[in-house]
Amino acid sequence: MAIHERSLVEPERIVRKERLVIDGVDVSGDWNLIILPRVINDYDLDFAKEIINSPDGKTITLCYQCSYCTASCPVHNYWDERYNPRHFIYLARLGLIDELQKRADVMWRCVSCHKCTHRCPKGVLVEEVLKVILRTMAKKGLIDEYPSKKFDKFFTESVLEYGRIEDGELLFGWIEKQGYNVVKDPILKKPIPFLGETPEWLKQLVMKPIKSMNISFLVLNAKHMLFHPRTKSWNKFKQVLRKVMQEEGALT
Amino acid sequence: MGVIGKRVAYYPGCSLEGAARAYDVSTRIVARELGLELDYLEDYNCCGAMESKNITFMGTLLLNARNMSLARKQGHDVIVAPCNGCSFSLQRAEYFLQTDSKIFERVNALLKEGGVDPLDKIPETYHILEWFYHEAGPQKVKEKTKRPLRGLKVANYYGCLYTRPHFYARTYSHAGGQSEEARPRRRETADDDEHPYYMNALLEAAGATSVEFEPMHTQCCGGPHSLSDEQVSEKFVMMILQTAKRNGADIIATECPLCHASLEMYRHRLMMKGVPDVDVPAAYFTQLLGLAFGYSANDVKLKDNLSDPLPVLKRLGLA
Repeated sequence: MAIHERSLVEPERIVRKERLVIDGVDVSGDWNLIILPRVINDYDLDFAKEIINSPDGKTITLCYQCSYCTASCPVHNYWDERYNPRHFIYLARLGLIDELQKRADVMWRCVSCHKCTHRCPKGVLVEEVLKVILRTMAKKGLIDEYPSKKFDKFFTESVLEYGRIEDGELLFGWIEKQGYNVVKDPILKKPIPFLGETPEWLKQLVMKPIKSMNISFLVLNAKHMLFHPRTKSWNKFKQVLRKVMQEEGALT
Repeated sequence: MGVIGKRVAYYPGCSLEGAARAYDVSTRIVARELGLELDYLEDYNCCGAMESKNITFMGTLLLNARNMSLARKQGHDVIVAPCNGCSFSLQRAEYFLQTDSKIFERVNALLKEGGVDPLDKIPETYHILEWFYHEAGPQKVKEKTKRPLRGLKVANYYGCLYTRPHFYARTYSHAGGQSEEARPRRRETADDDEHPYYMNALLEAAGATSVEFEPMHTQCCGGPHSLSDEQVSEKFVMMILQTAKRNGADIIATECPLCHASLEMYRHRLMMKGVPDVDVPAAYFTQLLGLAFGYSANDVKLKDNLSDPLPVLKRLGLA
């Protein structure tokens, strides 16, 4: 017998017997597969409350577990079947935090393509809800710093500082965060492209505009890296943004 | 046709002023040729893309509300964005501001505090492709085409957020099966949500041939994670490129700078690894339209594309 969503059951709880006799009836064959039961008693109902109380997470209550989100999800289908939005919502509603923690290594892998949200017949904003679950877990210290969160923070800080982002700085700044030894200029403290360690693919990729002598493109991007494009009337607005983020606990 | 308006506020987003300059330049060319007018949104800020919303809910709404306020100040009811991420963010803000009056009041108060005019009205946001289709349409493209893209086989890549999710983009959902009355927010101009075709229609009007590309045309490229989760993005891009190549595409047409960057970056890395069938170059659909309207490869900045579509286009005598 096939087990639907097999990845949700720990392998040691799935027992397959050669021969199985129950109450004197031989049920060998298709029925000799047993999933051992387990006992769960550490529900944390405050966890769900925190999600329901956030404006982008309140639709979690609408979910009726039809699993259309999971069936649509490219990360579930093409990457890792342990990534299962339906299940995450289920666990969060019950407040089964240790079960959520077991899946922390795939939970951050959502690519925000919104197929789940789009197809949900009940109107759950699935993607938003999952991000709220992650956010809540991070706030409670239940999940380690994960790569996409680090990047999101890095990105948001850049927006907060200048009002705008700049591709080159984002790319090289991120490379530095990944542990490459990047050389920085002494005055502005910005990474100088290609002076320190750089991934090989990036070097080759940038050789293309150099080879085809696309000078104007290089100059434009170099200019932006040196003089970060910024929104002019930003300072006053920045203070408000900072205040709001502090209220939400988004700034540490 | 003629629902959105010929003159709109143009929100380019950060990347169109930097690495995706080609998209900006070619978009302006196409708009001008089609008789449409873009009013540049002065002193805009980043929409927060897919990243900021994971960090702060209110902050991201504020970022977008500020841009909306700028559009109102310039006298517009409509914002047009050429990037899937930007149009998504603006539409998301539109959704929360419209559906929750408490949030709307709070945002307005905060805007005021930040020295920005509060919103008297929430402007609507459209993707630029939707705008081109509805305000000019395939017929106009056909009229303006001087050098048809004859023989060019294009895989039209829409990316994920162009029609999704229907809550924000206000498309009709095929999956929900709800009645018309249950969807007061549905938009007349929106593309088909699971099988978008606006780009196909415009490029075909310019003489190109579309190749079979479903379901990869709306498959995610891993864009928001393209730097932080390289394995997933690489796999997704591989699937997209191989499907295009195996269906005979010469080129992939894109309509989002993030998708475009992700495709080009990972195409290069996959080729370095020796993965087969991934050498399809990418070009913005506006670049292709620009070529069809008789502009040169230099005018539409084809040299900016790192995946180098020039050889393919030259072979077909299009550039």
